[in-house]
Amino acid sequence: MAAAFATAEANDERKEEILVRDDAPKLLAALKEMKDGLDLVRSKVEAITRKVRENQLPTANGIGYLEAKNHLLLGYCQDIVYYLLRKAKGLSVDGHPVVRSLVEIRLFLEKIRPIDKKAEYQIQKLTSAADVASAREKGGNAKDKGKGEHSDEEDLLKYRPNPDMMDTKSAPDGQDNDGVYRPPKFMPTIMDDEDKRRKQDSRRDKAIARMATENPYIKEIIDDAADRPEEWKETVGDESREFVKYMRQREEQEKQEEELFTRAPVTKRDKQMEKRIRRQLNGLGGLTDGFDLGMNMLFDGDKEDDGGSSKSRGKSGSRKKHMKSSKKRKRH
Amino acid sequence: MADSKAAAAVTLRTRKFMTNRLLSRKQFVLEVIHPGRANVSKAELKERLAKLYEVKESNCIFVFKFRTHFGGGKSTGFGLIYDNLEAAKKFEPKYRLIRNGLATKVEKSRKQMKERKNRAKKIRGVKKVRSNHKMLKMHMSKLILV
Repeated sequence: MAAAFATAEANDERKEEILVRDDAPKLLAALKEMKDGLDLVRSKVEAITRKVRENQLPTANGIGYLEAKNHLLLGYCQDIVYYLLRKAKGLSVDGHPVVRSLVEIRLFLEKIRPIDKKAEYQIQKLTSAADVASAREKGGNAKDKGKGEHSDEEDLLKYRPNPDMMDTKSAPDGQDNDGVYRPPKFMPTIMDDEDKRRKQDSRRDKAIARMATENPYIKEIIDDAADRPEEWKETVGDESREFVKYMRQREEQEKQEEELFTRAPVTKRDKQMEKRIRRQLNGLGGLTDGFDLGMNMLFDGDKEDDGGSSKSRGKSGSRKKHMKSSKKRKRH
Repeated sequence: MADSKAAAAVTLRTRKFMTNRLLSRKQFVLEVIHPGRANVSKAELKERLAKLYEVKESNCIFVFKFRTHFGGGKSTGFGLIYDNLEAAKKFEPKYRLIRNGLATKVEKSRKQMKERKNRAKKIRGVKKVRSNHKMLKMHMSKLILV
């Protein structure tokens, strides 16, 4: 039993040795890198602390935004240092508040990056102006006071947006000289016509609503689903769709005519349509609309008097015959 | 003979009544309900309107552009009532004055007008005045022949 334990321990130790041997070169490289980095950081930090001690980097009257950023970055550095310390000493970092704080500060820095970019130009201007001002302060005050005031005003004016710095992607003189302004094409743009879209949407909604009530098939489906009683609508004679449409049109026209105190001229077409509809109403013309097939078969094609339609067909037929014969003659 | 008017009562209704001060007239849309009749004559309508609006001269009333509605029984048209005869003669178009008897139609022979126009087509510019002389000459020659 003791021998078994000893062999087991030996095995474990050998495994550890194997692990250590494999990872050793990597570990050595990593440690060397770390040492170099730390030396660099130490030198930099020493320089900065020296400067701060000598009050060379005052942030009292600076840009508030930059001061806040400064604080954030400092906090971040502190957290990282503490994190590395814990890791180096072998203590676990799991669940420690430092990790959470690290993540938060990182998030803040990421979020203010776009603001940074936008304010870059202004900050640059201000810092350069500050440098110039401090340089002038150091070298001779009495003489330059007058100049300094003047230049202050100038400097203030320099903060306005500078159109000369804008980069134009197209040369203004390289365009057509026909006086028409043609915008430079460097990016595909979608012409978003808000009114048109809204009008189209409203039209679609109206069409759907109309279909729901007027289209007989859909109406039937909807009525069925809503458990409404069946609706029976007349579709012959006075209530035929043609007549209803005609009446609606006429009423609309009448209203407009009364409004404008004039009359629209009655064309031949209007007269023909009116005659046809009158005939339909006065007789029983509308009843046999749907029975064309059946009635034809029963009565050997003896249809009701269609008025003008047969005549017109006859005319066209004779015209065609005439054309045909003339063509035949021409060939000969 | 039964009085046709009594058989079917004719009702007049005016809509969109407006007093047009610029043209010194009253204009309105006239709606006539005449069940059983084809339509009502303009003279009858003018009588009725004169009674309705207490107009001294029925010559100043003009009704026009009547159209019978589908199915009959109702017709709609326009009506104007002028303040005085002078205003009517000034503002109304010729054909309506003729209908009311305030003017006479000038019978222009269409053939003569067309001949004149065709003759004028041959000449360009101010010389059309000379063409009149040409016409006179032609007429004179005809007379001599006769």
